[in-house]
Amino acid sequence: MNGTGRAFLRLLSVQGSWNYERMQGIGMGYAAEPLLRDLRVAEPGRYPEAVVRSAEFFNANPYLAGLALGASARAEYDAVPGEQIVRLRAALAGPLGALGDSLFWAGILPALSGLTLAALALGAGWWAVAVFVVGFNAVRLAISRWSLATGLATGMRVGGALAASKLPRAAARSGAAAAFAVGVGTPLAAAWLLHPFGARGAASALLIAAAGLALARWSGARFTAPRFGLLALGITLLLRLVTA
Amino acid sequence: MPFVLSRVDDRLIHGQVVIGWGRPLGVQRILLVDDEVAANEWEQDLYRMAVPEGVTIEFAGTVAAAPLLAAWQADARRSMLLTGSVPALVHLYAADPAALHRINLGGLHHRPGRTERLPYLYLTAEEYRSLVELETLGADITAQDVPSAVPVGLGALA
Amino acid sequence: MTGAESITILLLLAWGTVAGVDLVSLPQAMLSRPLVAAAVAGALLGDVGAGLRVGAVLELFALDVLPVGAVRYPDYGAAAVGATAVAAGSPWELGLGVAVGIGLLVSAVGGWSLLALRRLNADAVGRRAAALRSGEPAVIRRLHLAAIGRDAARSLLLAAFALGSAAVTLRWVRLDRETAAALTIAAIGAGAASALGGAARGAGSGRRRHWLAAGGVAGTAIGLLVWGLR
Repeated sequence: MNGTGRAFLRLLSVQGSWNYERMQGIGMGYAAEPLLRDLRVAEPGRYPEAVVRSAEFFNANPYLAGLALGASARAEYDAVPGEQIVRLRAALAGPLGALGDSLFWAGILPALSGLTLAALALGAGWWAVAVFVVGFNAVRLAISRWSLATGLATGMRVGGALAASKLPRAAARSGAAAAFAVGVGTPLAAAWLLHPFGARGAASALLIAAAGLALARWSGARFTAPRFGLLALGITLLLRLVTA
Repeated sequence: MPFVLSRVDDRLIHGQVVIGWGRPLGVQRILLVDDEVAANEWEQDLYRMAVPEGVTIEFAGTVAAAPLLAAWQADARRSMLLTGSVPALVHLYAADPAALHRINLGGLHHRPGRTERLPYLYLTAEEYRSLVELETLGADITAQDVPSAVPVGLGALA
Repeated sequence: MTGAESITILLLLAWGTVAGVDLVSLPQAMLSRPLVAAAVAGALLGDVGAGLRVGAVLELFALDVLPVGAVRYPDYGAAAVGATAVAAGSPWELGLGVAVGIGLLVSAVGGWSLLALRRLNADAVGRRAAALRSGEPAVIRRLHLAAIGRDAARSLLLAAFALGSAAVTLRWVRLDRETAAALTIAAIGAGAASALGGAARGAGSGRRRHWLAAGGVAGTAIGLLVWGLR
């Protein structure tokens, strides 16, 4: 099957047409086009329906979407009945979302973010941010490449390959790493930024943080971070105006 | 103990379910009621892999699940009941209204015949009618994809 | 406005647009993270220190967000660029609070703009439903590329709004030193609460919560040590 490289590049934009009707579906169809091109010659009768299937409703973690993309393309070439391919895609979406979201959004990303904050607080310069970007993308690209290659190699047996891989374990461990890193990075960053304001400044900030955590608890986490931040700034401004 | 969440979501187990709800609610067991998944061994393997360590998952078809509700509730673990369709929900509710007293509409997506009620919730007229009927029977139904979203009542989804 | 200033503004606008497109569409390389978006904006403005600090505070807020499966979230990319433009070139102790305020405002507007974009994309897909059933890949390709173009337009508008808000703030907002410092302290405190609240929610109960507590203790201890040594 040709077109793997182009499909990989297109997969970097898999959420580019994200919408409430098909979610990542159109993006998946866009990435599938180079993979399905040979099918047009090999199986002209099957080609149009394969294209239609490739762009149906789909949503998973974008970095793991290659597993579903590769597996469905392989299955099209293996002449698997269409309804089974639809089922495969649907059954892969949720688990790839759960696994990928745990691994990246609740794992690697906050872990690296927390570490970078800690590094900045301890005197690192802009290079800490560069390491953050390069490190995250090295991991992400390696896993995305593996995903597409594994999907293409295994087709309908992709589930077994995924279960045998290190991803489920890594997803479980990365959550603990993220919790620890954010735990370390937050007070360090706060101490770094509050230092010029002395102990009084730090105490005020602590008070505001405690109020915020209490508010989040009381409001059932419905108080989004930007709203809470703007509220804190607004109240501070008001207090200053009143006391000045 | 009573189910900590009874949810309708056609994507079944995904990020919102295991991270968004599962973690803050401390879910220890997911009860996945879906006819197609119950009939497919390899799909079950996929879902098993998607749940975090320490969370068990049980599968059942809609008809088979109804008589199990009482035993599921008697279990001490914190359990989430998850199903992918409104008809399945109606069937389960009829079997044990008390067990499914509170119902969370988490996501039903675009399909021919359905119209958008919320970005993550598309319903046919018939699905909506069934839900309203459940409410008149005493069910407490709200739409809410993740805990940090504002729950929306059925009245606002007409 | 001098020539050099116009070039800086154009570069900031371009960078804000890149950060906006990066968030969801392409290439999702974390250029939209506040740490990154603000650091680069700081470099463009010749004040990396301000960029790093604005980025750090907004990153604390962004750690509250868990973008699990299709949920709504604020857009911090252009917001961080605008916020850095507010703080750059003056003592950060006084500029940081106001800058973060502008950043948070823009991030919320950015979140709404994402909702509107997703709706526009859904409408476009709905209009082409019959063509999509034909199995012609050109239909898919055009829909996809048009949607990315739409996101680029959204990101450009958001970046312009961010820089416009920064310009208005720099021109009109005058605060005494005490108030400016109080706002900076409030922004840091609120950011820390957001990060820890998000981490606690994301950790749930059990083992991960212990890791969070252990990290918090370690971070606080090191922070106090460094504080004493400074």
